[in-house]
Amino acid sequence: MGLYNNSLGRKGSLFVRNGVIITFLILFAIATIFPIYFMIISSFGDPVEAGAMSYSIFPSKISFESYKFFFDFSPHSWDWLLNSFIVATSITISNVFFATLAGYAFAKMKFKGKNILFAILLGSMMIPGQVTQVPLYILIVNIFNLQNTYPALIMPSIVTVYNIFLVKQFMSSIPGEIIEAAKIEGCSQPKIFWHIIMPLSKTVMAVLAILTFMAAWNDFFWPFLVTNTMDMQTIQVGLKNFRFANTTYFAPMMAGATISAVPMFILFFSLQKYFLEGVTVGAVKG
Amino acid sequence: MNQTLTKRKKLKLESDSGWGYAFIAVALIAFSLFTAYPVINAFIISLQEYAPLGSKYVGLENFVNSFQDELFWKAMKNTLVYTLLTVPMNIFLSFLIAILIIPFKKRTQTVFKAIYYLPAVASGVALSVVWLWIFDPLKSGIANQVVGFFGMGNQNWLGSSATAMFSLVIMSWLSSHGTAIIIYLAALLGIDNSYYEAAEIDGATFLQKLWYIVVPFLKPTTLFLLVTGVIGSFQVFQNAYLMTGGGPDHATTMVGLLIFNNAFTYFEFGEAAAQSLLLAAIIAFISFLQFKFFGNDVEY
Amino acid sequence: MKKRTRVLTLFLSAIMMLSLLSACGGNGNNTSASTNDGNTGGSNGGSEPKKDTITALLPPVSANYQARFADMEKEFNQLYPHLTLKIEPASWEDMTQKLDTQVNAGSPPDIAWVGSTAISKYAALNVLLDLNPVLSDEVKADYDEVAMKYFQLGDAQYGLPAYLAIHSIGGNRQFLEEAGIDWRSVQQNGWTYEEFREAIKNGVVKNDKGETTRYGFVFATSGVTSKDYLSIMAKSAGLPEYFDEDLKFSYTSKNFLGLLEAIRQMIDDGSMPKELSSIDAGKRWNMFLTGQTMITGKGLASFENSARLNNEKIKANDGSAVADSIEAEYIALPVPTFNGADYIPTSVVDGYIALRGKKEPSEEHIKNIGLAINFLSSGSIAANYSNELFLSPVTESARNAAVLEEYPRNEDNIKADQAMMAKAVPARTDIPTDKAAEAIKIETEVIVPKLQALLANEITPQEMYDAVKAAAIKSFGEDGIVVD
Repeated sequence: MGLYNNSLGRKGSLFVRNGVIITFLILFAIATIFPIYFMIISSFGDPVEAGAMSYSIFPSKISFESYKFFFDFSPHSWDWLLNSFIVATSITISNVFFATLAGYAFAKMKFKGKNILFAILLGSMMIPGQVTQVPLYILIVNIFNLQNTYPALIMPSIVTVYNIFLVKQFMSSIPGEIIEAAKIEGCSQPKIFWHIIMPLSKTVMAVLAILTFMAAWNDFFWPFLVTNTMDMQTIQVGLKNFRFANTTYFAPMMAGATISAVPMFILFFSLQKYFLEGVTVGAVKG
Repeated sequence: MNQTLTKRKKLKLESDSGWGYAFIAVALIAFSLFTAYPVINAFIISLQEYAPLGSKYVGLENFVNSFQDELFWKAMKNTLVYTLLTVPMNIFLSFLIAILIIPFKKRTQTVFKAIYYLPAVASGVALSVVWLWIFDPLKSGIANQVVGFFGMGNQNWLGSSATAMFSLVIMSWLSSHGTAIIIYLAALLGIDNSYYEAAEIDGATFLQKLWYIVVPFLKPTTLFLLVTGVIGSFQVFQNAYLMTGGGPDHATTMVGLLIFNNAFTYFEFGEAAAQSLLLAAIIAFISFLQFKFFGNDVEY
Repeated sequence: MKKRTRVLTLFLSAIMMLSLLSACGGNGNNTSASTNDGNTGGSNGGSEPKKDTITALLPPVSANYQARFADMEKEFNQLYPHLTLKIEPASWEDMTQKLDTQVNAGSPPDIAWVGSTAISKYAALNVLLDLNPVLSDEVKADYDEVAMKYFQLGDAQYGLPAYLAIHSIGGNRQFLEEAGIDWRSVQQNGWTYEEFREAIKNGVVKNDKGETTRYGFVFATSGVTSKDYLSIMAKSAGLPEYFDEDLKFSYTSKNFLGLLEAIRQMIDDGSMPKELSSIDAGKRWNMFLTGQTMITGKGLASFENSARLNNEKIKANDGSAVADSIEAEYIALPVPTFNGADYIPTSVVDGYIALRGKKEPSEEHIKNIGLAINFLSSGSIAANYSNELFLSPVTESARNAAVLEEYPRNEDNIKADQAMMAKAVPARTDIPTDKAAEAIKIETEVIVPKLQALLANEITPQEMYDAVKAAAIKSFGEDGIVVD
């Protein structure tokens, strides 16, 4: 059963194999997790303007003063978290729905101009943001007059090409016969989508939700461009308020960053069951 | 497509197309407003000497300038080298880790998934401090302590042209692959157990199963990661900008940095747009090749 | 039937999108009064001043400056009841990019905080407003002339200075004395490169294995900061600007080659680390606090306070001081002079510029911008941020204003700062914007990358000099450069 032969061989060799794998996974994990660890231990420092970095692996002092300082520093600390939450949640929901819809259409439906449309979508991803940023800013701020509003923060990411492409690739492994069969039984496309495709796509939708939420939550530059007041800033923009001309409140900034990582954990753990048990075609059929 | 389509099938095709457009309607509206409109503007700007209070039409001058600029080609070469060294390796690492997580109990799996996903939430500031510490050129640097352990002398990692590009590549390898790992894991879950069972009855080994079932099944996912990875890698310049400033002597100058400088340091927006379009054309060509080699979607 | 359902889906998806947007739309501030509404002020001004809103994009210059944004808006409104000042906060490092996007979109704020060196970039786009006609002589007289010039180009006054900071170097008092350096005399009289070279040689300490445990001098030069290193040294090397009095590019003179040779010498002597090319600002300050260097650069007046704060934490011994740090007293020092040139300090002047967008602003609006810029750069506001940054204010009114907090200062450093400040020279206002732009391009594409290679010992000073000269000839022609 499965990719690995868990039953094969003696218990000993299974143990050795898993041991080797775990060692490798842990070694690689340490390398990638170090910045997070550093972020967290730095957040236990004193809330003073840091003249210099302490380059040490272990915290010499544990204090929660910086967490307090983070919330006391600006009356808008909670606003930043709330704004980020509203923006990231809206973007996530709209992407999960519309990107799945469009991804399905591009992967499994047959209509004229499909391939050309998709090529155009994909091609637009290839143009660097630095040159499209000014026209987009003109559109949102000068034409729509939306600066400093949630729509300005949400609209440009309402459904991204990246996500459509991701869904399209996942859907390509759904057997076409299922859809054909449903059509012959008289199902309309919305029904097929709702009753067959959506249940089969829970995994990719969960992936989409996590990745989109994370990207929206971490986005800095666009929210920075279109917000004018502190109460409309998102957390990533707000954290930058801890840096000044030649000093930084490093520990409170790290405390804020640590706090801002919490929602992403919650989302990850609440969606992780979809990564553990995939929904396969066989499961639906049976 | 096929000329032998029966009338009934043709009808079905048509009915598909109505719903097809409806399904992509929102995506298309959002796309035309927030992507196509700016992109078309970028096209127009690339033919201008741009100024906010009155641009001047200059034809193809910006493109000609870029073509003649030695630095542009040097940056293009750096970008290509960086992409070749990072994107395939990163995809391979993500694939490896995703495969290695699979054999464990659910709880162990969750722990590992969380650990590999976690670094993606690290603050950018913490990341840059940590990497500067790793590549600290003096003895106190983490990388220097590691090579010192193997008897090598101090390396001026980011400061010398022999190691600067290599250091950026290492940084990319050891950075978080959380996104790619999660995508691979999700795709792996889509493989029905019956395929493995059938293969096992035929006496397939682990590697055979990997090669004949997993790799073909993950092909669309790999294509996705390749195409988006190349796009990202061609456009990225933040790391190079923050860590080396493009130096020494342009050893790590990327096209993205040139575009940024043209747009914001020299206010030559037209030239920035022209270089962006040239860059996009090159990425499009590479993506086209990738679709050619990986694109035939697997159907079961 | 088919068609109807299709329309229905389209309609439904449109509704979904709309509801999503409108659901969140309520909270946003109304933006009608934001930018450049100035031309509403019609021709029939006179009896009652028209209401007007002025927007300002400001970074967190200091912690308290940012915290007082709301008070500043209120005070300004009390001062001029018909005017509203709206401050857009922007983070320090990213503010330029935001401003540049707004400028290129044709809708910049009325006022923005910039470094004076950026003025020619904006002037080239014709987006700056000349404040000369709207500022009263009384207001102009409040500002020091040297600082004021930094915001001029030609005859136009494109903004007002907020502060003038001297970029110098600084030493550890104990180590300076151990190396036999009469730092009080240096603070007052300066030093030549030859004297400096000896001094930093004496500052080097090695352990039994012959490894250097303390360098004489460390300057942050990693990545783009290498620009600072060269330009700060060049000021006192007979190269105060990219262009000489005849508007010829000056970095092709022998002085430039001499400076490059000196830069290499200090590393070859072992007084500076051979890995200098990748030491960043955080690292070298860490080296200063942990006693790994005697002198560090660049130095700012406020570093004295950072060192003092760390000393206090060491005394408190609660583990909050920088790891492995030692008690260090920061002594401000002038940059040495090269090639027998005069000492000219690097004076960095930041301040506020007045901007316009696509719409032509009315005269009254420009006048109101002038009032707001003056308000932000003088009096109590300027007194407080200057105080926090350990700078002396550049306006008379700020010098006379009271400050909220008192910080302990080292008397010798105050005197040294005053001595350096006294030598500050006004900015050049005669350099045309196209020449300035060309120089910035050479700086970014040739000077900085080659300097990084020089510091990493990959090219010789002569090779770097030749490369810069070749680029300068390409840009300015054989006649456009200094030959000596």
